[in-house]
Amino acid sequence: MTNSVLLNNIDHQNLKIITERSDTYGDNLWYAQTFPMEFKSVQAYYPIFFNKNPDTGKFFPLALFGFENKENLFLSDDKWTADYIPAMVARQPFLIGIQALNEGGIEKQQRMLNIDLDNPRVNQEQGESIFLEHGGSSPYLDKVADLLEAIHHGLNDSNDFINALNEHQLLESVTLDITLNDHSKNQMLGFYTINEEKLAELSSDILKLLHKKGYLQAIYMTIASQANVRKLISKKNARLGL
Amino acid sequence: MNQPLKRIVIVGGGSAGWLTAGIIAAEHATNQDSGVEITLVESADVAPIGVGEGTWPSMRSTLQKMGISETEFLLECDASFKQGSKFTNWKTNANEHYYHPFTLPNGFNEINLSSYWQPFSDKISFADAVSEQSHLGAYGLAPKQITTAEYSFVANYGYHLDAGKFGQFLQKHCTVKLGVKHVIDHVTKINSSATADIASITTKKQGDIFGDLFIDCTGTSSLLLAQHYKIPFISKKHILFNDSAMAVHVPYENSDSPIASFTSSTAQTAGWIWDIGLPTRRGVGYTYSSAHISHDIAEEELRNYLVPSMGKDAAHSVMIRRIPLNPGHREKFWHKNCVAIGLAAGFIEPLEASALALVELSAKMISEQLPANRQTMDIIAKRFNDKFLHRWGNVVDFLKLHYVLSQRTDSAYWLDNKNEESIPKSLQQLISLWRYQPPYHYDATHTEEMFPPASFQYILYGMNFVTEPLAHKKRVSYADKADKLFNDNIKKTQKLLSILPTNREIINKIKKYGLPKI
Repeated sequence: MTNSVLLNNIDHQNLKIITERSDTYGDNLWYAQTFPMEFKSVQAYYPIFFNKNPDTGKFFPLALFGFENKENLFLSDDKWTADYIPAMVARQPFLIGIQALNEGGIEKQQRMLNIDLDNPRVNQEQGESIFLEHGGSSPYLDKVADLLEAIHHGLNDSNDFINALNEHQLLESVTLDITLNDHSKNQMLGFYTINEEKLAELSSDILKLLHKKGYLQAIYMTIASQANVRKLISKKNARLGL
Repeated sequence: MNQPLKRIVIVGGGSAGWLTAGIIAAEHATNQDSGVEITLVESADVAPIGVGEGTWPSMRSTLQKMGISETEFLLECDASFKQGSKFTNWKTNANEHYYHPFTLPNGFNEINLSSYWQPFSDKISFADAVSEQSHLGAYGLAPKQITTAEYSFVANYGYHLDAGKFGQFLQKHCTVKLGVKHVIDHVTKINSSATADIASITTKKQGDIFGDLFIDCTGTSSLLLAQHYKIPFISKKHILFNDSAMAVHVPYENSDSPIASFTSSTAQTAGWIWDIGLPTRRGVGYTYSSAHISHDIAEEELRNYLVPSMGKDAAHSVMIRRIPLNPGHREKFWHKNCVAIGLAAGFIEPLEASALALVELSAKMISEQLPANRQTMDIIAKRFNDKFLHRWGNVVDFLKLHYVLSQRTDSAYWLDNKNEESIPKSLQQLISLWRYQPPYHYDATHTEEMFPPASFQYILYGMNFVTEPLAHKKRVSYADKADKLFNDNIKKTQKLLSILPTNREIINKIKKYGLPKI
């Protein structure tokens, strides 16, 4: 469970954040949510697929790290073995909280920096300081704040991206057949990918529209990222000594 | 005679008229040059009867084929998910109940589980042993999750809906999306051709409307088939006695009250009370035999039924609407170039909600077998009549079975229902047969039976009917396979109970997020 509170430099003055990557800190993730604005970095290492949010039924794009729950093939010896860590993972233990404000009679929403105090990265002994000695933000916190800002815009844009994919029926379910070096076969169900047939049928007007919003690029990066499944299989073989 | 059929005129709106229009228009192009022209004429003066709030699972594919978004349908028709019927007090009036779920018994196509279940009938009910769905009913759970795509299911389902809103919703879809012409006018005259076909209908304001095929969806008035063509009515009242109904809308206690996912049917002294959960209200009604109970006493029974959920004051002041019923159907349904669908063709009683399903099946057959010209129409008309006479017979037998198996002796109604003279010969034969062999595939004599053998099993064994075990042994026993299916059902049920939301929860989520398309 999370215990998310508004970050402040009085209660949280002495907190530090461990930035190593390991199971202990919850990095044994099968996949993590991503968004089109970071696809360029994500597709260099990870396959991009789509899944449904179990609470809303809405699709979201994800970066795949393994083939089953709690399997992250990019995690080894407490290190993340790829040069880019998706923002939704890198942000931990921080998140955005929405606060309702009343400004001169107008209801406004303001984004606030929150911290999950139950996250095992949070402690008083080791890691990066959040605040400077006299209460100012540390360079580390500034970076985190930038990251969360990028996530906020990225997720909003991602919703539009998903709506566009739905509107043009560009998603289809996919079954990944994984054959390992010992010839054992596994199937991964429940994920979705770009329907390339539908994509090929789109009119130039719609393609232009998707291009203008940057979604055409995101669509092709998603398709290209599937080549990373093979790399993921190699990692799995290596891990099993096959 | 060889002129291609180009113009279809549907007389009467309501859910029957608009469903028919939608089903035909979803299959055939409706543009003037290369399609068929579909015109629906409905009178502004005639209000649709607006009952019939339960559908079968067939409605899912019907709506999907019409290109309707399930999310829009659910929200605009005040609809929720129906997974079958729950019958209370039908057996002995001792506060007992049983379920008739929409899901077939597990492994139904390969194995007849009923004979393997019978030895354990005192330990577990038939429905509970052979399917997960009755368990979902007991916990008020939905047949799907918010991640389940539109029209897909975890457990098979149909709908509970607001029939008035449904008619309007279909009207909008048919006229805006499917090119159905809508004429609001009163029909004053029916004009015959030299061959006694219907050539046209005359309307009050817009003159004559010509057609090649006329579909009578005018409800109980049966304007074309009965009034114009004088096709006789075959009463079934001597078999199924209910000739009256009273309906009432019941508000929920609060906006979070559970929505039942089964139609509840509670037996009374001279009929039964339906109770249907929509998202914003319940629809409750008593259908009864006026020969066995006075309208006043029936009303009293209905109000008493409402007391626990509404409180005494509200239950005794709420407005109740009375609807006369005339159980039976026309001698035939397609005559000349006119075919009747819905109440215009017939109506038995609301038990097992067969009315809308019959509309769907009728419209589907007309659409798929749409006569190319007048010459082929008589051949198709005969097929249609044969098929639907059989279907009505199947409905009558199946509904009567519910009453025949009752052990109630507390009123003349229940005793009269068991009187041999009130039981069709066909049903008597089936019951004799089923004493020695359970219903199975050979009992379905036609394709697309209204009520397939699985439904008969749910009613028979739900009502404690006993089929004698076979006197000899078969060479191969499937007991192991049956055991496995029973155990798998326990596991599957446990899993579903932990992952499925309640019917209320999923409706709230659909309002907020909609269902995914895939």
